[in-house]
Amino acid sequence: MSEPSLRPWYPWFTFLAFVLGLLVTTVFFKDQFREWKKWQNAYIKQEMAKATTAEQREAAAHIPIEIKQIVLPGLGRVDRCITCHVAVEDPSYAGLKQPLAYHVNHSQHPFEKFGCTVCHQGQGLATTKEAAHGNVPHWDRPMLPLNFLEASCAKCHTADELADAPKLAQGQAAFDKFGCIGCHKLQGRGGNVGPELDAVGARRSPEWLARHFKNPSKLVPGSAMPHFQMSDDEIAALTLYMLGQTGEHLSDYYVSMKTIPSADSGRRLFQERGCIGCHSVAKKGGVIGPALDDVSKRRTGKWIVDHFKDPQSVSPGSVMPKFGFTEQEIRALTAFLVSLSDPNVVGFLKVPSELTSIERGHTVFTKYGCAGCHNQDGNGGIPNPNAKTAEQVPSLKYVAEGYTKDELKKFIMNGQREIAMKDPSRPPPPLYMPAWKTRIPEGELDDLVDYLISLMPKDEKTSF
Amino acid sequence: MFQNLFKSIAANRVIRSIFRVGVPRSNLQRAQAAISSFLLHVQPAKVHKNVLKFRTTLGLGLITLYLFIILVVTGILLMFYYVPSTEHAYQDMKDLEFVVTAGLVLRNMHRWSAHLMVIFVILHLCRVFYTGAYKAPREFNWVIGVGLFLVTLGLSFTGYLLPWDQLAFWAVTVGTSIAGYAPVVGNKIKYMLLGGNIVGQSALLRFYVLHVIVLPSIAFFMISVHLFRVRKDGGLARPEEPTALQKEHILSQLPQSKTYGLMELARGTTPAVGIRQEDEVFTWPHLIFREMLLFLLVSSVVLLLAIFWNAPLEEAANAIHPPNPAKAPWYFLGLQELVAYSAFWGGVVVPTLVVTALVALPYIDRKRHGVGVWFSKERKVAITLFSICLIAAISLTVIGSLFRGPNWAFQLPWKTVPSEEFHP
Repeated sequence: MSEPSLRPWYPWFTFLAFVLGLLVTTVFFKDQFREWKKWQNAYIKQEMAKATTAEQREAAAHIPIEIKQIVLPGLGRVDRCITCHVAVEDPSYAGLKQPLAYHVNHSQHPFEKFGCTVCHQGQGLATTKEAAHGNVPHWDRPMLPLNFLEASCAKCHTADELADAPKLAQGQAAFDKFGCIGCHKLQGRGGNVGPELDAVGARRSPEWLARHFKNPSKLVPGSAMPHFQMSDDEIAALTLYMLGQTGEHLSDYYVSMKTIPSADSGRRLFQERGCIGCHSVAKKGGVIGPALDDVSKRRTGKWIVDHFKDPQSVSPGSVMPKFGFTEQEIRALTAFLVSLSDPNVVGFLKVPSELTSIERGHTVFTKYGCAGCHNQDGNGGIPNPNAKTAEQVPSLKYVAEGYTKDELKKFIMNGQREIAMKDPSRPPPPLYMPAWKTRIPEGELDDLVDYLISLMPKDEKTSF
Repeated sequence: MFQNLFKSIAANRVIRSIFRVGVPRSNLQRAQAAISSFLLHVQPAKVHKNVLKFRTTLGLGLITLYLFIILVVTGILLMFYYVPSTEHAYQDMKDLEFVVTAGLVLRNMHRWSAHLMVIFVILHLCRVFYTGAYKAPREFNWVIGVGLFLVTLGLSFTGYLLPWDQLAFWAVTVGTSIAGYAPVVGNKIKYMLLGGNIVGQSALLRFYVLHVIVLPSIAFFMISVHLFRVRKDGGLARPEEPTALQKEHILSQLPQSKTYGLMELARGTTPAVGIRQEDEVFTWPHLIFREMLLFLLVSSVVLLLAIFWNAPLEEAANAIHPPNPAKAPWYFLGLQELVAYSAFWGGVVVPTLVVTALVALPYIDRKRHGVGVWFSKERKVAITLFSICLIAAISLTVIGSLFRGPNWAFQLPWKTVPSEEFHP
């Protein structure tokens, strides 16, 4: 019987067993020496060096080496940044090299409530520098460069709410100046010629945005967006403003945590606590307590605050119960009540009510982004390839000559979808006049038309 | 010294209670080693010499089985971390990568083994075809094999969704919409798979249950039957046995007094005992050793892949931003390519015909030539037809995976356009 021998195979068996063993060992070694452990060891070393007493040294030696994380269930976020940035809350680490540096100026936004990535972005779940800082494929929110950091403020605040976010304010100003809202929708307002901007900050990189503002059609072939000739500062400001538009509704979450006492959160509290049962707003509500429409004209802010704390202390004999509102809730409710009766609030922009209709009309012109196509002050000159009107969006200087007030109103309301072509063989002009029918209310329309009529240069008008 | 140690271990009471035979010394013990062990008795005590030859099967079926075992083991470990919820699934992938001990390697092993298993099932199918091993009496085992091929695709496809990233979400969206093209029942099937009209929480849960319970159980059962039948159908296919006349001659030479054990009865060649003894070897150690060697090789390769190449993970699933193009998993890209020409013909008629043809093959091709012979000259027609279909399937898959860009337009693989430009 010829049984083949197995002997020639033995070395192979040994070899493969050895290879497999080696690979398994590799896996565990790789796992043992994770990047973050290095920094936690450095932290312990630093703590040991700082320690003066034996007890402190003992405590430092027993600092566990472990993954640290901030869990924010309301945001669906887990931030593990503090696994390497161990000392963010320890002021004695101020000025040290990253990642072991102290985070200056975080008292307004405590880490346990905000985590890190809400402001800085990046990949909170990651525990390696490269992945966590987010400059890796398939992570579309890398860390914001520090000069764009103020963009994140816009996730919860508006620029005029903040005294210390000048870049955000510049961004918002540029957004208004170029009339972006005329073509783009943002937070439910604006035109539909261009794409919606609600989550543009989550989709686009700062580099892309800046290149796009420099020359839109170079980056996106066929884009209808005019070439605005923005200055570098304006590009930077607008880029920052766009980066803040991430479509995340963070303020909802934080308002529910009662951390931002805004008029909106006040409105919500007003509804939740059933204030309407006794008080009325805009003639709706109960009659037991006084109407609140113009309470801020009758009372000072301090009086309102004191009244919330203890109604009888400032209004003896009042039947309003003591609700035990927190300080935050009182600030939010007060903000809401003041907003009700602010004489300067008309629509969404603060328009001083004593302005002339022409001045108000200019604000309306800005508010709806007319400048996006018609240029600032209706000067025209924005290119619109193949439009009969010199391949440009027409200037509005002389509308007074061609239209009566009623005709002008009708034109604005209905818009003009088909723009006359200079050369019918070429593609139609990309920009067109949207119908503003449901978007500009009657009062604002009157002011706008007054403003447009007023654009007619005085001397030229008389020369006819 | 080692031998003494080995002997004393083998002689230990506890060890003896587990491995009753000990280290086999005689042929009787070798036979008992295979018969008395639950795991080894799937195989007969003795096998034909050709089983040991690598070229007989290229080890493809066994490699597939090993990959399945690796998948079950890594899959169970992954289940300890994975929550099939749209809120947690993607985060669990990140946790595996960044927190769990060897989590990333575990996931990589599972992913690469899954892809390899699809490849090796197909290679195994080709091997069985090209060696004519599906012919009588193995027709039904071929049918079970085709079933296992489909189950493997199902396992891979259901697992594809679980990471809940863009790749998973859109591949499954595309894959299930292909199912929707079937007439009458198509949309019902799609609805049943997804638990709704779009890929969402119910789809994730359904795919999860299919992936971890239903399909593995079916696969386990079918693999058992498949292996059982390999043995019952007379072991691995080999060239024709001696003719009946020759057999009679051999039998007449055997001593009449010998009783034939029933252990090695195999259909068609009974009584097999004593026939061509010189062509058979003991399973233990010859076959077992080679099988273990192959296991070491397969696990080493999978681990090597898992250490150096990470399983893909894209952005979290986002139903609003479809990638352009959205592609099905690679093994369905041939199908997607066909669907691009015609949804009905490509998505319904062709796959139905292919599966029907595969199942019916052993009942149509009944001539008994070329069994156990690679590319037998007597099977020219069958081999040519099968090869044409195979090449067509491979070409379609290659075109679908590498040559299709945005809007499924033809594109050379090295001229990719950054996807960002395509979002308005």
